[in-house]
Amino acid sequence: MADFSAQSYRQPFPFLDIDPTMESLTQFAELNPQSFILDNSAFNFQTFFPLSINDSLFSNQASQGETMSGFIHNSNQSSVSAQPIFSAKTEMEEISNKRKALDISESSSGNSSSTSPQVSETGIKRRNNSGRGKRAKSNEKEMEKPKEVVHVRARRGQATDSHSLAERVRRGKINERLRCLQDIVPGCYKTMGMALMLDEIINYVQSLQNQVEFLSMKLTAASTYYDFNSESDAMERMQREKAEEAKELERLMREGYVGIGGVACFHSSSTYGPL
Amino acid sequence: MNNPHHLNPTSLKSRFTTRFLRALTKIRAQKPISSSSPTEIFRRYRRIKVAADKSMAYSVRSRRIWSRAMLWKLRSRSYRRQDPCSGRRSGKTSQAIMKKSSNENTTTRREDGVGFVEEADELRQLVPGGETMNLCNLLDETAHYIKCLTTQVQVMKKIADFYSF
Repeated sequence: MADFSAQSYRQPFPFLDIDPTMESLTQFAELNPQSFILDNSAFNFQTFFPLSINDSLFSNQASQGETMSGFIHNSNQSSVSAQPIFSAKTEMEEISNKRKALDISESSSGNSSSTSPQVSETGIKRRNNSGRGKRAKSNEKEMEKPKEVVHVRARRGQATDSHSLAERVRRGKINERLRCLQDIVPGCYKTMGMALMLDEIINYVQSLQNQVEFLSMKLTAASTYYDFNSESDAMERMQREKAEEAKELERLMREGYVGIGGVACFHSSSTYGPL
Repeated sequence: MNNPHHLNPTSLKSRFTTRFLRALTKIRAQKPISSSSPTEIFRRYRRIKVAADKSMAYSVRSRRIWSRAMLWKLRSRSYRRQDPCSGRRSGKTSQAIMKKSSNENTTTRREDGVGFVEEADELRQLVPGGETMNLCNLLDETAHYIKCLTTQVQVMKKIADFYSF
C-alpha cells in the first residue's frame, strides 16, 4: 500500500515530461508578466494549457480511484500555474475597474436618498479595492465581510426595493458557497458555468458513495477470507495492531506529502517488506 | 514532548476510525461465517456498510442536517426490522414530522431565480436529508458531506489494504 501510494505520487511526472514546452511556457509566463497586456491572444493560449494538464491529471487519477495523494499533489500544481494568470489578470482588470469606479460614483450621487450612509461607505471602500485590482470580478452586487448586518450596494439602474435586495443577497451567498465547493471538488475550473459545476459535484458525490460501497464489499471479502483461514484471537490481535499501524501510516503519508515526498513512502515500504 | 506524529484525537478522522473499527470487530465476533453462501456474504456486506455509515453519522453527531437525517433513517430502519408494529407507528409519526418540516421550507420546489432546479433536485436525492433544504443550505451540507465521505473512503481504504496483503 505504501508502494501503491508512492507509485501514484510518481505518476503525474510522466505527463510533464511529455510536454516540456508547456512547463517552459509557464516559467516564461512567470518571468514576463508585463508582456501579457500587449498580446491578449497569446495570454489566453497560455492560460488554457496549464489548466488542461491539471485536468488530465485529475481525470486520470480519478478514474483509477486514487483520491488523497493525487489531489494534494494536483492542488500544488494548479497553484503554481495559476499564479501568472492571476498577476496578469489584475493588471488587465485595473483598466476595467477604473471604469467601474466611475460608475459607482455616479450611482452614489444618484441613489443617495435611498441608501444609508453606511452603504455609501462601503461604496467608497469598494472603489479603493477595485483601484488596487484586488477584486477580480463581481458584476452582480458586492457584499462586505458580514459581521452582523450585510450591506448591499445597489448598482446603477437596478431596483432597490427590499425584495430584490434580499434576492441579491441570497444569490451572493449561493455563489460564495458554489465557489467553496469548486475548491473542494476536483475537476471544477473557474471558467465553468454554475450548472456544469453542479453536474461535476453530483458526479463526484456519486463516485464517492460508490467507492464506499466498493470498499465495504472489499472489507467483507477480506473478513470472510480470514474467517476461513485462522482463529479469532489472532485476528483480533492483528486487527488492533493494524489499527495502530493504520494511524501511523496515515501520519507518515501526511509527512511524506508535506515534506519531500518519496522519502517517507520508501521508509514505510521498507518496514512492511516486499509488497 | 508534543509528538507531532500523533493524530489529533478529536478530529473527524480519528473519531470515525475508532468507531468503525469497534463496529467491525463486533460484526466479526458476532457471527463467524459458517457457510460461504452468497446470502450470508451479502448480509455481512450490508452490516459493514451500515456500520460505516452509522459510525460516520455518529462522529458528526447532530451538528449537520445530513447526519441527523442519516441517523434518523438508520434508526427507523432498525426499528422496522426488530418490531413491525412499532415500525408502523413510528412510520406514521415520522411521516407527519417530515411533511411538517417540508411545509415550513416550501422554497424547495420553487424556481429559485438562479435556474438550476434539475441539478439541485438530483443533489437533494444524493445528500441524505436533502429534500427539506433550500439551495443555500444544500450547498453547505454538500460541502461537509463531501469532506466526510472523503475521510470515510481514506480510512476504509487503509483498513482494506491492511486486511489484504
